[in-house]
Amino acid sequence: MRHAAIIGTGQTKHTKAHDDMNQAELVRQAATRALSDAGITFREVDAVVLANMELFEGRALPEMWVGAGAGGYLKPAIKIATGGTSGTSAAIAGYHQCASGLFDIVLVVGWEKHSEGATQTGMAMVDPLWDRNVASGAVGNFALSISQYVAERGVTPAQAAQVAVKARRNAAKNPYAHLQMPDLTVEQVLRSPMLADPVHRLDMCPQSDGACALVYAAQGIAEKLCARPAWVRAAVTRHDQPYIGDLDRRLVTMRTLRDAARAAYHQVGIVEPRKQIDVAEIYEPVSYAELAWYEALGFCAEGKAGELIDEGVTEMNGELPVNPSGGVLSSNPVGASGVLRVAEAAMQVMGRAGAHQIADARVALATGYGVYAWSDVMILGADT
Amino acid sequence: MTELLKISHTMHLEWRYGVGASFHEFIAALRARAQLLGRRCPSCQRVYLPPRPVCGNCYVELRDWVEVRDTGTVRAFTIVHTPIIDPTTGARRPSPYTMALIQLDGADTTLNHYLEASDPTKLRIGMRVRAVWRAPRTGLLGDISHFTELTDE
Repeated sequence: MRHAAIIGTGQTKHTKAHDDMNQAELVRQAATRALSDAGITFREVDAVVLANMELFEGRALPEMWVGAGAGGYLKPAIKIATGGTSGTSAAIAGYHQCASGLFDIVLVVGWEKHSEGATQTGMAMVDPLWDRNVASGAVGNFALSISQYVAERGVTPAQAAQVAVKARRNAAKNPYAHLQMPDLTVEQVLRSPMLADPVHRLDMCPQSDGACALVYAAQGIAEKLCARPAWVRAAVTRHDQPYIGDLDRRLVTMRTLRDAARAAYHQVGIVEPRKQIDVAEIYEPVSYAELAWYEALGFCAEGKAGELIDEGVTEMNGELPVNPSGGVLSSNPVGASGVLRVAEAAMQVMGRAGAHQIADARVALATGYGVYAWSDVMILGADT
Repeated sequence: MTELLKISHTMHLEWRYGVGASFHEFIAALRARAQLLGRRCPSCQRVYLPPRPVCGNCYVELRDWVEVRDTGTVRAFTIVHTPIIDPTTGARRPSPYTMALIQLDGADTTLNHYLEASDPTKLRIGMRVRAVWRAPRTGLLGDISHFTELTDE
């Protein structure tokens, strides 16, 4: 494997309904912006990787947008659909294609238009013999696991609400974010309607329309095209058993994320994640999940996630800022959400994050979460 | 800016699903005898419900059937307030309702199902519950209407 780096990123505005663009137009806007950021045109792109969960739009063959949307005419292209991890899995696949020597420049584009379908019902279209007739969509499934996490770890609704407040406050600095709420308070989160105990509406991610793209270039090309590329230091995927009932206390144990992080940290030589990682963009579909991921990622000792948010460690000005972009809690076009985590991590390392830039970010972590317990972890760095 | 047109489209489709050898046995026992059959891994001894051809942890073939009881212990629960379009009916599912992950006696996995308690304030992790069955049975998990408190232990 040779080194490969992200040399450009681009995204659309994320919003409740992009009635101004169809899927191809959305893909094209993100792809064009990423290519422009990289200082190249679609002619230089050797291969394209797409990420989309077509069931949510009720539109088959989303890979048809690869030509008119992503400039992939007569080029190799693949599509990846692994639920929430679609975007990070596509980012990892694009990295593999580039680092393996197969292609020199690879474009990754993820998108979703949740406004066009019935996402929660789409998510509930699981095994018709087993859990379909009791499926409760993302909120119900998470709330079940959260009840176990809260019982064992004792985190409070106010601590979870603080995660939601942090996300929407950070999002106010990100012009592309969907939910920008600079003045949101913990009380407002706790007063928002209860979706499924203990998850309030403002604890949960939105359903957004949006797209995000990024461009990889191989070592030897990346340095020529980009003054400060975001080098991929680690890229790890882990999966678990099929049914939610197979996973022993999912949020407490989260063995896929723990194992992926352990492997990625080992590759990079990270032994103290809180000190050695400058910024993290993690896939938190619900406030409580961010607290659980703090433990799984080794940001704090087990049971100390509530203290971490209380002490402001993961705020923009904290020791380890988490989701300066506003994260999934602020923008969630599912096929794009994982690409967004990686792109936002890259923007931090490249110094291109604008108003939500973390000063001197040299090592950035990005994670993906999908299906019941699929995890992706990537680490990007200013150095190879 | 001009507001662009939007159109609605709907689909009414029928699907079929080849259930596979493990579910075939499970469905037959459920329909004939209201019996819940799991499968035990010969390597790690874990009992899986629903049954499946291999243990995902050990990757060895599962051949041994184990009867799992219709009583169990609540391992997680939530009261769902948000409405969802039920994928099995296409209709809005009435809310609120209580969901639980229930570890049936004899199984190592948990079952995601409805829980109805006489007093919602008494819901807790660790509470003992039993299945309430529908008649006639069709061989689907919906043959269990819901779980309720087990009071006669």
